[in-house]
Amino acid sequence: MNERHELDLSDIQGNVVRGYPRYGFPKARYVFYRINDAAAGRAFLQRVFPLVTSAAMRSIAGATGAKARPSATTDVAFSYAGLQALGLPEASLRQFPEEFAVGMKARAAILGDDGPSAPVNWDPIWQDAEPVHLMIAINGANDDAIAGRYDQISTFVAQSAGGVQLRKGHRAAGRDDMPYQEGSALYEDGEATPKEHFGYVDGISNPYFEGCGAHDSAVIGGGKLVRKGFGSELAWAPLETGEFLLGHKDEAQEIAPAPKPALLSTNGTFMAYRKLHQNVSAFRDYLEAAGRDYPGGQEALAAKFAGRWRNGAPAAKFPTQAEADALTEQWHQAKLDVERSTTPEARHAAAERLSKLNVEMVDFHYNDDLGGTRCPIGSHTRRANPRAALEHGQTMAFETPSALSNRRRILRRGLPYGDSSTPGSDDHGIIFMALGASLERQFEFVQQQWLNYGNDFRLANEKDPLLGNHGVDAKGAPNGRMVVPAGEGARDVPYFCSKLPRFVETRGGEYFFVPSLTALRMIGAGSVDPT
Amino acid sequence: MPNLNGNAYGLTTLAPILNRDPNERSYATMLKELLDALPTGEHSPMAAVPETYLCRFFVLDNVVYQGLDIVKALPLPVPASHDRLKSAYLAFTANFHGPDLDQYLWGMWDAADSTIRQIWKYCVGFEQVHDAASFAKYLRRCQVETTFYFNGSTDESLAEQLKGLYLKQELAKFAFDNQGKNAEELQAAFFDFVRRTQPEELDGPSWRAGATSLERAVIGEASPEALRAATPGTPSGLRPTAKEPVQQNVGSAAVTQ
Amino acid sequence: MSNIAGKAYAMNLVTPLQRWQTPVNRAAFWAVGTPLLAFSLRGLLTLSMIHYARWVFLRARDFPRLSDQQPEESLHYDYMLFLSNFNGSWAQYVDSFSVAIPSGLNLLWFMNVGWPKSVPQTRFHEYVTHNQVWSNHYYSAYPLAASNDVKAGSKVRKRLVDFVRQMRRGSAEHFAQNYGRMLRDLQGELSMMDVTPAVSTAAQAIADRSETKGPAHA
Repeated sequence: MNERHELDLSDIQGNVVRGYPRYGFPKARYVFYRINDAAAGRAFLQRVFPLVTSAAMRSIAGATGAKARPSATTDVAFSYAGLQALGLPEASLRQFPEEFAVGMKARAAILGDDGPSAPVNWDPIWQDAEPVHLMIAINGANDDAIAGRYDQISTFVAQSAGGVQLRKGHRAAGRDDMPYQEGSALYEDGEATPKEHFGYVDGISNPYFEGCGAHDSAVIGGGKLVRKGFGSELAWAPLETGEFLLGHKDEAQEIAPAPKPALLSTNGTFMAYRKLHQNVSAFRDYLEAAGRDYPGGQEALAAKFAGRWRNGAPAAKFPTQAEADALTEQWHQAKLDVERSTTPEARHAAAERLSKLNVEMVDFHYNDDLGGTRCPIGSHTRRANPRAALEHGQTMAFETPSALSNRRRILRRGLPYGDSSTPGSDDHGIIFMALGASLERQFEFVQQQWLNYGNDFRLANEKDPLLGNHGVDAKGAPNGRMVVPAGEGARDVPYFCSKLPRFVETRGGEYFFVPSLTALRMIGAGSVDPT
Repeated sequence: MPNLNGNAYGLTTLAPILNRDPNERSYATMLKELLDALPTGEHSPMAAVPETYLCRFFVLDNVVYQGLDIVKALPLPVPASHDRLKSAYLAFTANFHGPDLDQYLWGMWDAADSTIRQIWKYCVGFEQVHDAASFAKYLRRCQVETTFYFNGSTDESLAEQLKGLYLKQELAKFAFDNQGKNAEELQAAFFDFVRRTQPEELDGPSWRAGATSLERAVIGEASPEALRAATPGTPSGLRPTAKEPVQQNVGSAAVTQ
Repeated sequence: MSNIAGKAYAMNLVTPLQRWQTPVNRAAFWAVGTPLLAFSLRGLLTLSMIHYARWVFLRARDFPRLSDQQPEESLHYDYMLFLSNFNGSWAQYVDSFSVAIPSGLNLLWFMNVGWPKSVPQTRFHEYVTHNQVWSNHYYSAYPLAASNDVKAGSKVRKRLVDFVRQMRRGSAEHFAQNYGRMLRDLQGELSMMDVTPAVSTAAQAIADRSETKGPAHA
């Protein structure tokens, strides 16, 4: 008798629970539409629906059987304007949260999208006074798979006779009217890597929640921290599902109010889609110049900025470059061993070693490094996920050690875009997606209070060195700052890093609702009724 | 003393607002309008009142009806009683560096008596107030005791707090601007810094009470010209010490970055 | 009318409690202040979001009566006044009470009429909003400073004054070494301050409106 899984993964869209690149989909195309006619829009959705991938990595149209895996995945999301355009009842619409209803552009003051990140600098599609309505994300193993799915969907658009319209206006390759936004993993020697344009290995850590279906070991680093007994020893536990999916119990010990009817919102979630331009040459130049003075040089400074070495090793656990390199060497060796194993026993042993090393990358917290000696308090990864650090070492100050972090976790999705390998190229960055049950409480909060501000870390107004919206002084020169705490040596002193330019600039985006498959079907059928 | 936490004083006062013929505009309403119109930030009348950390005014019109009350002993909720206040109250609550309340209230009258009159004139019994002493007496009559006062900050004098903020900002800026300088440059720059910021002088350069922008925050710094004209090369700032011999380099290694 | 003064937010909560419960509640406060229950305050202190906060109990007869013409208050309940000056948004503050220190909070509020407990969150949010009184004028002596900044400033001032006194004489090398040591001692205190992040789009819009009324920026 099959046991019933905690979560009905077949009802949840794939990109919510799975980070596609890890599953062999290193390419993506993000396409946006306008609904000109509600009935045509619904008919379009009904045609797309069988292609939509669930978290069970299946689609209705796809092959069945244990080994079946789609060649391309399809995920569908709606802006508030899009839900309106599709004829969702007013009574349901009213219950959607405010920040989602006004859209991301209207939240610029909260998000720090000012100066070069201001909407006036966004891609035309995002600057447009008319918001986009519908997003379809296609992920694939290669360009052909993506093109195939895209063509299929374009046929449905054509069949709508103008009722559904493709929105153009993405900037790429010198044009500003591209019909879609492309994303792709960065390749080295023909292999897809998990790196982003600044050279860091990205996406190492993601939240682990009840029912997410990931391997058990992913709770380490991905879950929340709890106390073992009354001492200061900590252990990992899964986060509540409701932090990431509507209609489930969350960390506040309730099922949070969500738009009615329940079938509309349960198993759905919200997403912030952001195109983030990366100033790669400014970053390289800065590291080179500052790296001359900084002890340990460029790589060490890069590690201080991110809280991880560029090869991914966490600075909190691997404070020196030698230790960080040793870890990645072991990891690569273990990976090779798995691939080259000739016997099942050998492969199993190698896989175990690899698994342990993966855990090393995420199994840490900051309670042994409260002063930020190894991993600066203001470094990017520590800001984005402080783990138990906000207890500031005061055992039992809070109900649970990571209480102040548990409701601020984000599921991160997305891929890099563009090419930064040729000098002078300027069109590259990351398509960043943040998913969670509450945009305001999770994504917006982290962005505003933890990346662009520092008070929770007792860092006054200091910003995230990599992602912060650093400003300029009266003469227009960059004036971002970071105090890098002194190292562990007796004679080490802090390093005062100044004149940081804004390395990351927003080029557009929007807030979306990612419905369950049930809700998607109902929206397409026009049968959503809160009565 | 529950109103005190160290030297920090939590003053809570409720002054009853005069009731009026209901056909007339109520004094509570007029008071709200008056309070809403008070200038804010460094221009707030309270910015001039010595030792004021944070304070607020609000009009307590009434207490709020709670609807149902869950009383554990009973199986069903019971309706809450509908309490009504017979007067509205002007709440003035302040956090200041004490410990002496009278000293604070006298200082408040000296700094802001015209505003005080404008505000409290709508309150019962205020006609008896005509000077600092009677004002202090009046507010003491309006005072309610703080049961528990939590201090999450310091209980230093306001001048110490403001000086601390000023020095934090200036020393940070100095550290950033002088990163990587050699020892001689650093020492010379630091002496200039001390002359400009006068760390020991609470009456010297500091932050302006109530300033809402960095451009308006600093007060009391001498102009760059005046600083240049001041006696150069004195290690202890603008107060030269008498005839101290300069200690020779004892060969300690340079600081590592 | 504003609850905001730069980085500080003024919360005024007025909540009723059953009259017979007042002495019990008072005792709870007294207990919280003792070393025995210091742990319940540890959360508040670690949060470090608060400048100053107070609880005040008001019985009907505690409402000041300053003349015979002023009617005497007669109330079914007693009232608790909670006044806080904190940093960060309303949501952040209320949430931190809900997830970080709920048991400490319950201890102080559980006698209040209609108190839903601070966990789960939605009803707690509603309870606070329902009973919150807006400030008509709120003043902070340092709108650019959070409570953390004030505390950091105190450390900096004391250490810097010591340093200045010690470094009255000496070689540049000696100075540089000790300067480095001072910076190391103060490294957690030397981040720079500026204005608060936008507290909400509503508050930001109001702030922008009042700015445009004034003289134009250079």
